[in-house]
Amino acid sequence: MTTGRFLLKRTLQGVFVIWGVVTVVFLLRFVTPGNPITFVAPLDASQALRDQIAAELGLNRPIYVQYVDYLLNLLQGDMGYSYISGTAASTRIFNRLPATLELAIAATIVAVILSIPLGVISATHRHQPADYGATGFSLVGISTPNFWLGIMLVLVLSVQFGLFPTSRRLVGFLPAVEMLFTEGSFDGLVTWLAHITLPAITLGTYFTALITRLTRSGMLDELGKTYIRALRAKGLPETLVRYKHALRNTLIPVITVVGLQLGTLIGGAVITEAVFAWPGLGTLVINAINARDWPMIQGSLIVIGAGFVIVNLLVDALYASLNPQVANE
Amino acid sequence: MTDPDDRSTSRRRFLALAGSAAATTALAGCSGGGNGGDNGSGGGNASGGADTAGGQPTSGGTEGSDSTAGNESGGGNESGGGSGTGEFSVTITQGQPPSTLDPQNHRETPTDNVVLHAYEGVLARDAEGKIIQKLATNYERVEEGRVRFTIQEGVTFHNGDDLTPEDVAFSINRIVQEDVGFASPQADQLAGVTGAEVVDGERAVDVMSDGFNPIVFASFATYCDIMQQSWVEERSGEEIAQNMNGTGPFQLDTYEQGVRVVLSRYEDYWREPADISQLTFNAAEESSTRVNQLLEGETDVAVNVPPQDAQRVRSSNSAGLSAVPSTRIIYNAMRYDVEPFSSPQFRQAMNYAVNLQGIIENVLSGFADPTGQPTLEGFVGYNGNVEPYPQDQERAESLVEESGFAGAEITLHTPVGRYLKDVEIAQAVVSQIDSLSNVSCGISQREFTSLAGELTDGDITTGPNFYLIGWGNATFDASQTIIPLLTSDGALTSYSNDELDSLISEAQSTSDQERRASLLKEANALCREQAPWIFLNRQYSVYGVSNRVEWSARRDERINAYAMSSTS
Repeated sequence: MTTGRFLLKRTLQGVFVIWGVVTVVFLLRFVTPGNPITFVAPLDASQALRDQIAAELGLNRPIYVQYVDYLLNLLQGDMGYSYISGTAASTRIFNRLPATLELAIAATIVAVILSIPLGVISATHRHQPADYGATGFSLVGISTPNFWLGIMLVLVLSVQFGLFPTSRRLVGFLPAVEMLFTEGSFDGLVTWLAHITLPAITLGTYFTALITRLTRSGMLDELGKTYIRALRAKGLPETLVRYKHALRNTLIPVITVVGLQLGTLIGGAVITEAVFAWPGLGTLVINAINARDWPMIQGSLIVIGAGFVIVNLLVDALYASLNPQVANE
Repeated sequence: MTDPDDRSTSRRRFLALAGSAAATTALAGCSGGGNGGDNGSGGGNASGGADTAGGQPTSGGTEGSDSTAGNESGGGNESGGGSGTGEFSVTITQGQPPSTLDPQNHRETPTDNVVLHAYEGVLARDAEGKIIQKLATNYERVEEGRVRFTIQEGVTFHNGDDLTPEDVAFSINRIVQEDVGFASPQADQLAGVTGAEVVDGERAVDVMSDGFNPIVFASFATYCDIMQQSWVEERSGEEIAQNMNGTGPFQLDTYEQGVRVVLSRYEDYWREPADISQLTFNAAEESSTRVNQLLEGETDVAVNVPPQDAQRVRSSNSAGLSAVPSTRIIYNAMRYDVEPFSSPQFRQAMNYAVNLQGIIENVLSGFADPTGQPTLEGFVGYNGNVEPYPQDQERAESLVEESGFAGAEITLHTPVGRYLKDVEIAQAVVSQIDSLSNVSCGISQREFTSLAGELTDGDITTGPNFYLIGWGNATFDASQTIIPLLTSDGALTSYSNDELDSLISEAQSTSDQERRASLLKEANALCREQAPWIFLNRQYSVYGVSNRVEWSARRDERINAYAMSSTS
């Protein structure tokens, strides 16, 4: 199988998965306790009004009709209207997407920048202080709850020392870049960076710890393999052996995890978003669930699910280019 | 795409939940609307909870009786406004962002706090809760079921058009009549009102009610924002939800849905322009986040500062606390139709078992008042001779024996994070009841939405037997708590008692205000004695306020930036 065919197969699988997500999310409404009408109609609504609302929302039709209708609308980008605000669900969700993506990517960058060197140092200095330091950091990072870390960072770095703003996102990345090109001013980017630093560290810490450990064990594995010994026997400098050959092979599984984790971050930043009042998808979903705002819940979950699938596809593509063997498996 | 105009449904808020005031009220609590219990608002809220949902405020304080004729003397405007020329920016952080900018399509305090700066009603309340005139210069009863508002001259909407009586009548009808615009979730806030019409040849509007409607002026003082008829009719529901065109002291600058709302001073305001030139609303559901913003000078007002953060604000040199009793009552309802709660002795025993003062001191750090009746102090119908139940474990045990339900096993259902310290209050109540020798009590932590769904479906039998909930009542009037919660036909009732029903129906049909108040007082005394609830605390609204800003908290959970001024 060529790499091209492999990716085509993966894409088709992805489409199938998204369809599955849409179906499950659609059915959620029918298995969740509580009739949506209870939450949408005024409390003292007459039965006639309730029926009228059900008819207007199309909730009185057979499930399969609603399902087909939902799919057809979705294909046109219509996710329905929020029960709560009456605005188009798709508009609200896509307005939140940049903030979520920025945070997920920034957290990933923090994690990759910190964890790969840490993991490598840890592996190459096994059982030395540097190794203990790095593994100790991983243990702490994996064990620290997100919300606590976020609150502590704010208390120390913002409230005590005034180095960073405490919360919020005053400007998005794209508007900040636009400001740079139109006004030649770095102010937007500086503001953006100041606001995203603490949330990115908070969200990226667990992830950093995870990848540090993964890099360390992968690197140790590689360094123990026979081809490394052959390279050393050939007289290749140790730096080349480590960083060109061993690290490259170590990074293959690491990239997979980073990719999968990026998907998790898109949907999983709820707590961090809450601590930093970050206007992302996580908070949107939680609020929608609390209000039983079905169009918003369904739309957000579908976007998060599709995000996962797309990230996985990208990882597959990258993986295939790094290691052409995968396409033949 | 579906036609956005076809939104009559989508516009209803979930607050239907709360239903007759109820829900709304109910919502208040924590800021976090539904999230961490540290919040209290609303969700909603902010003060209302977060919740998203916020609760409905009520104003507290003075008697809210409506005068049956004409102007209340001295019913001036609330103080506020100023030179209206200086630059003064103020930022307010609530627990939840507004869910819409349509002032007639929501039931939440956080939304209310934003839209009240751009939209105004015919009447309003001052900081003490007294009824004052706003867009009406005079209000009077014309005949049974008909009241008349004379409309202020020289008022303009933000688009420059003059306010007309037609706009007022249209706005009222948009709320109370399902065929005007849409089915507003606020219809029950104007309970009894059937419609409005312009008076021929006069700058006045008549409002019709079915029956005498004793609380009609109290309702209009709290609810019903006035919108411009042509502006509303030319726009889809979605546009109305994202723009504002009112008569208030601030006009909309920018709106980022779910993130922030920026308003600026409306220079042609019909009264003195505001001191504040730019007003920004943000949201942060975590109370610690709001407090940190305040301490760092990123915001000027933070809603719902929980007891555990109060000290940090007090000891800072840039901000202070402003606390005031709210209009929200927290209580444990006991369903009268199931054993053992069918026994008045057993219900009284539950009240004697609880150490309310201890809960207020230890769980709420003193930010609460004890209650012993459904109606709060300062409301019409509050009975000053009724005391909260004291803790008396022995008496509780003997009453349980008397009731014949010794050995009863009961479970208290409580929402988590909806009201200030709700779970902690519930745990204290449960452990105190459980310590009685002849009752055992457990706790069931519930997601607020599912609990509220059981309570608001109009069927008493679907709700739990014993549950903690909160109720805000913005009308200042006992009836709006007792009717929905304690009468036989109440939308969220847990109780039924013929004597109480007849007291209330007589109160609601009499036109003699003094007699009405005394009937309501009698009803409150009866409630204390019959103990349909375990009476718990009156919640406080606690705000963190920057030293830059001169402002005092109001009892009704409303934040009125027009009344704010700069301290410098």
